[in-house]
Amino acid sequence: MIDRRDPEPIGRVVATEQKPATPHQFHFWTATETTIGIGAIVRVEEPGKGEGGRIVYGVVTDAFAYSDLLTPLHDVVGAEGDPAQASESPTARQEIRLWTAAVLRQRPEEPLQPVPLGSVHVATDADVAQALRMDAYLGGAEPRGIPVGLYTSGGLEAPVYLDADFLLGPEAAHLNISGVSGLATKTSAVEFLLASIFEHFPPHKGRIAAVCFNVKGPDLCFLDQAATLDDEDRRRYERLGVEAKPFDRVRYYAPFKSDGVNLNTLRTHPELVGAVEPLVWGLREVLDYAEVLLNRDDIDAKADAFIDFLSDRVVDKPFDDGFGETHRVVTFSDLERLFRAIFDGLELAGGGSGGGGGGRSDTWRTHHIATIRKVRNRLSNISTRAKGLVTDDGPSSDLPWGRFEDRAVYVVDVANVDPLGQDLVFARVVSKLREHLERRDLGVDAVVVFVDELNKYAPADGPDTYVKKMLLDISERGRYLGLVLFGAEQFRSQMHRRVVGNAGTMVFGRMDSDELATPGYQVLSPATKIKLATLPIGELMVRHPHFTQPIFVRFPRPAVLRGRDGVERFPPAADLPFESAVVRQLVKLDARVRPNAVKDVIADRREDDVRRALALTRQARPQDAFAYFKKLLGARVAATPVPLRESVPPLNPISDEPY
Amino acid sequence: MSRSWVDAVVAAGAVPASSVPEASAGRSDIEEFTGADPVEDGELQVHSLGAVQGLAPPPRAVAFLDGIELWRVVGYAGVTPIVRAHVATAIRRRGVDRRPRTVAYEAEELAITRLELLPKAIRRALEEVGVRVVEIAAEDARQPARALPAARIEVQKARAALERRVGERSLDALGTEEWLVVDGVLSDSAALSAHPRTLGVVKSHGAQYFEGAELERALTLPAGHRTSVFRPRSRGARREIHSWYLRLWPWEGNDLLYGLVRLEARAHPATVALASALSAWALRERAPLATPDRRWDRLLYAIHDVETYLRARAPRDLVQEQASRLPHARVAS
Repeated sequence: MIDRRDPEPIGRVVATEQKPATPHQFHFWTATETTIGIGAIVRVEEPGKGEGGRIVYGVVTDAFAYSDLLTPLHDVVGAEGDPAQASESPTARQEIRLWTAAVLRQRPEEPLQPVPLGSVHVATDADVAQALRMDAYLGGAEPRGIPVGLYTSGGLEAPVYLDADFLLGPEAAHLNISGVSGLATKTSAVEFLLASIFEHFPPHKGRIAAVCFNVKGPDLCFLDQAATLDDEDRRRYERLGVEAKPFDRVRYYAPFKSDGVNLNTLRTHPELVGAVEPLVWGLREVLDYAEVLLNRDDIDAKADAFIDFLSDRVVDKPFDDGFGETHRVVTFSDLERLFRAIFDGLELAGGGSGGGGGGRSDTWRTHHIATIRKVRNRLSNISTRAKGLVTDDGPSSDLPWGRFEDRAVYVVDVANVDPLGQDLVFARVVSKLREHLERRDLGVDAVVVFVDELNKYAPADGPDTYVKKMLLDISERGRYLGLVLFGAEQFRSQMHRRVVGNAGTMVFGRMDSDELATPGYQVLSPATKIKLATLPIGELMVRHPHFTQPIFVRFPRPAVLRGRDGVERFPPAADLPFESAVVRQLVKLDARVRPNAVKDVIADRREDDVRRALALTRQARPQDAFAYFKKLLGARVAATPVPLRESVPPLNPISDEPY
Repeated sequence: MSRSWVDAVVAAGAVPASSVPEASAGRSDIEEFTGADPVEDGELQVHSLGAVQGLAPPPRAVAFLDGIELWRVVGYAGVTPIVRAHVATAIRRRGVDRRPRTVAYEAEELAITRLELLPKAIRRALEEVGVRVVEIAAEDARQPARALPAARIEVQKARAALERRVGERSLDALGTEEWLVVDGVLSDSAALSAHPRTLGVVKSHGAQYFEGAELERALTLPAGHRTSVFRPRSRGARREIHSWYLRLWPWEGNDLLYGLVRLEARAHPATVALASALSAWALRERAPLATPDRRWDRLLYAIHDVETYLRARAPRDLVQEQASRLPHARVAS
């Protein structure tokens, strides 16, 4: 794993009164032509002490070049005002390459002393391991190193490892990656790191899985498809000890489009769509996270109390509405019927005391009708705005809670879902993960949750939403549960401080100059900032609890197909007509299903009935899917017209509330 | 050689001192002689270098030789000073990449005093540490006002001898198209002054070779001009040499010697033929400026580079100026 070479000195530490060597920083010079640069790791040896001398490891953070020129005017005079002559002078001026390095580690660590004025060497593999304190977790009976990339400098190349205890808990956890958009660095880095984690997650830490939210385009839609790698990438994979292959186990989940049968994802190519499971939630799933749907103005004790009432007393059990009707609320449709019964009952009760709640006409079971209307509007709103994700009627289809597989990636594709729906999905999935991890019944011991555009969910400013509070909770307590957040965003400065602050590992891709000017980057030298602003694709700056200074690493391109390449190779299929989409889903359940037979059965049937039957079939996964589906649809019965209900105008306006 | 021998003589009873005499960092011509014979023209003339090209073909490599001398009074035995001196010489060769690299370096440390005036213990200490001792005359050593100038002359002699030795030794290694440029006179050395590709660049003008109109022509030489080649009249050990003045920078607004150098090359008809080309070449060497050296108007950068190198390698306690002259701890106690 570690390559041991002992390179020649490349420089020498110098210290002056103006630029002294300290325990945390030193300066050294090199030849004008040198291979080191910003981010290079170097080793300083105390002169004359041999093996027992002090060894200091440092990382180059700044660089200076200057000549013996006293004033620029002298150069002008020497060249007689002609810049062309300046380069033709017979002798090149003496010049220096002076480097500033921040101390990474000293051996021995105590007593902590200024850096000796010794020779400077380019770091070897072994030096890099020492400098970054990786020796603490790479060796021993239970090594915990997770390769993150290759440190390269001066013709040398060394793998850099993260400590699994500090990346995935319990010592520290979470990873945050920032960088400008459009370079595919953030997503690629996470894809590579997940592959690395899956391959190197220490066996004694158990089983691990990843849940990735695909929030834009086709970014994560092809994690199971192999990319074309060049020899250099393969060499890097080999050097890092990671197999260059796509993920073995990837499960895709995507909601339906509003038609309820075509999946709302870009992974709809006929060869791939079979691996996508629908993500459909009903009333129970939504009601548990109703707080997500309420904006700041809505949050009040009354709404909360009413939602709790619905959840505890109404849903999934027989319930008497007080107006003589008994309900069993399972679906949104059932709930809507209950709401209508309540409103009708209150209208009929008028101003008297006959309301089923036994109170005034604007109150039902101690809940004001305005509150009831508000909650009703919010709940019905989600079923409208996230139609396809939330079903009015019928069973839900969800992630395999309790049956998570080891080294599996669960991709939840919400790229085309309404933002409110995205919030709901995110909140519910993460909350469920937390619940199961707390109970230790998820199926794995740790889960990495990858969220791109994290700034959308946990911005530095803006209201304290449910999602933000939940992210804060994960950030601060998730490491004890094995719930690890990998967040990516363009601007770290726009993130909530506690969310990024709790990320044990920080990764930076190419950064915007304006972003680098924000206070969060003040600890970086100007040269490091310049390097960050011009970082090529495939190179990252990593901060990790064991590293006292940020380290630049290169990582190979992910072995999985990039989103845009995937869309080119597997173009999304056009939306199928309703009948064909139903056929496709049934065929997916049972290859023996004959399309024409299905089309005959569903002809003239209400689409809602077909969708419900299909959902139940999907849920039951019977051996003979067609027969089961056909049985659920039942006999063809002519629709019975619903008699018009005689409306009774209210005697007094119930409320002026606008909901 | 380190400062240890100084410690030894102090331990043997010498009173410690730390005095850098005036002008110890610089040097001047050891000998001065006057008068010159015309070589190129009947009397000293001014030649413009406006249209003159440098050496053709230009030398692929040029070696530059310079030396330094540093000294300090480090102790007294009675009123007899004990001087610590450091002389060093280096040759740095400039190739096609325009970057000088050291090809020769030699340094020597000296103790300059009068042994017979020292107590036995101090003499023994000097013998035991093995430092080369150069003696000044007894009558000079007894008079502090004369002792230091005498010591200075010894230091200069040591430096000149070292430069000569290193320069002569380097001639064998000089390539067929390679030149050796020496800071100072060539005529101290028979080998250097006879070599076809050595050039001396003299910055100090203690010796005057002309008078009257010729002197005026020499000292009011316009920038980018040279005088006729002449033969300085020699005395003592000086060898036959050809020489001429060259003005590197306009003197108007400064002083007569501003930007004025005297070049020396072998006494040979070929030198006369090459005088303008060598002068044009030297003019090109004005850039880069040899700042921050105060003598930059006459100091070629490549020579300055050698001096910088030598100073960088010199003992720190001799190079660094003392911050103050507070009483020494031993004396104060």
